[in-house]
Amino acid sequence: MVDFDATFFAQIINFIILLGILGKFAFKPLMNVLDERANRISNDLDSAEKTRVEAEELKAQYTKQMEEARNEAAAIVAKATQNAQNIEAEARTQAQAEKDQMISAAKQNIENEKQQALADVRKQVIALATEIAGKVVSQKLDSAEDQALVAKTADAVLN
Amino acid sequence: MGNAEQASNEIIHYLPQHIDFLGATVHMQTLYMSWFACIICVVVLGGIACGAKLIPGRAQCMLEMLVEWLCGLMEGNMGKEGRRVFAPFLLTLFFYIFVSNEIGLLPQVGGHMVHFTSPTNDINVAFALALTVMAVNYLVGIYRNGFGFFGHFVKPFAAMLPLNMVEEIAKPVTMSLRLFGNILAGEILLIVLYQLAPWVAPDAWVFFSLCVGFLQAFVFTMLAIVNFAPIFKHEH
Repeated sequence: MVDFDATFFAQIINFIILLGILGKFAFKPLMNVLDERANRISNDLDSAEKTRVEAEELKAQYTKQMEEARNEAAAIVAKATQNAQNIEAEARTQAQAEKDQMISAAKQNIENEKQQALADVRKQVIALATEIAGKVVSQKLDSAEDQALVAKTADAVLN
Repeated sequence: MGNAEQASNEIIHYLPQHIDFLGATVHMQTLYMSWFACIICVVVLGGIACGAKLIPGRAQCMLEMLVEWLCGLMEGNMGKEGRRVFAPFLLTLFFYIFVSNEIGLLPQVGGHMVHFTSPTNDINVAFALALTVMAVNYLVGIYRNGFGFFGHFVKPFAAMLPLNMVEEIAKPVTMSLRLFGNILAGEILLIVLYQLAPWVAPDAWVFFSLCVGFLQAFVFTMLAIVNFAPIFKHEH
């Protein structure tokens, strides 16, 4: 036990054989698994980081698109409101013009009718007055001078 | 010492205790126990490692914790390249010494038929391991750095050569004597305690020796790592 003998050499051979066996059948597969796991974790972390960056980009893109869509929608609404206001104003103006035109035409018609009526009345009055005057004076007043005289008289009466 | 010697000589009675090989004696008890330690290492470590999965089980987790702890020490002292080169050697050294230290604490089997002893309680084993470490140190050192590797013998100046040589010789001697002395003393004391106070005290000592066995394996491996570190000082 405390004497140096050939056990020393046997032990060295023993250890070298053990080193060969363990190195090939124990530590190599174990190290491979450890390396594989380390690589996988590293890859997964890289992939997760990449996905996170992509998600951030997509989020920024979507936010930008949403903002643009919101602005566009607001612009459309504003434009539509403006159009509606314009149409309303135009319609109002047009209606006012039509109304004015109709009122003007109506006034003209009324005036025309009035003039026509007055002319008719005048004619009737002349005829009637002439007839009355003829009957009154029992003579026929059918000359042009008579008619003019009567017309003058009738006008004086009517006006 | 007499009891310990006697006990450790009564191990596997139906097999030869000593054989002569080319005029030299081989202490077979030590060799039987070395083989036993080797078989345990191969079966346990090989079994776990061959069934190693990406998602580890409990045994694989335990082994990975130990391996990664030791690899961390290697990487801290020798760098990544040092760890890559020496990991199998140092892991084998650690697990072999650890198992060797602990099997001496196993109870006797079948009366006195089989008496387990630690192979590391034999100076031949401890010294063989220490010299293997030194030999590997020199071989890898020369392979990687050429004969300039021996430049550290004359540093910081040439006059230090004798002292550096004494230190270099002292390394394997102290490594082996520390391991051998701790384990042999532990086993002797266990036998003495069994005879003096068969209850409780030996159990406490077995627990202590289990810790010592682990510690000595770690110390031996750590010293080997420190020895190897200068090989990679340019790369680390």
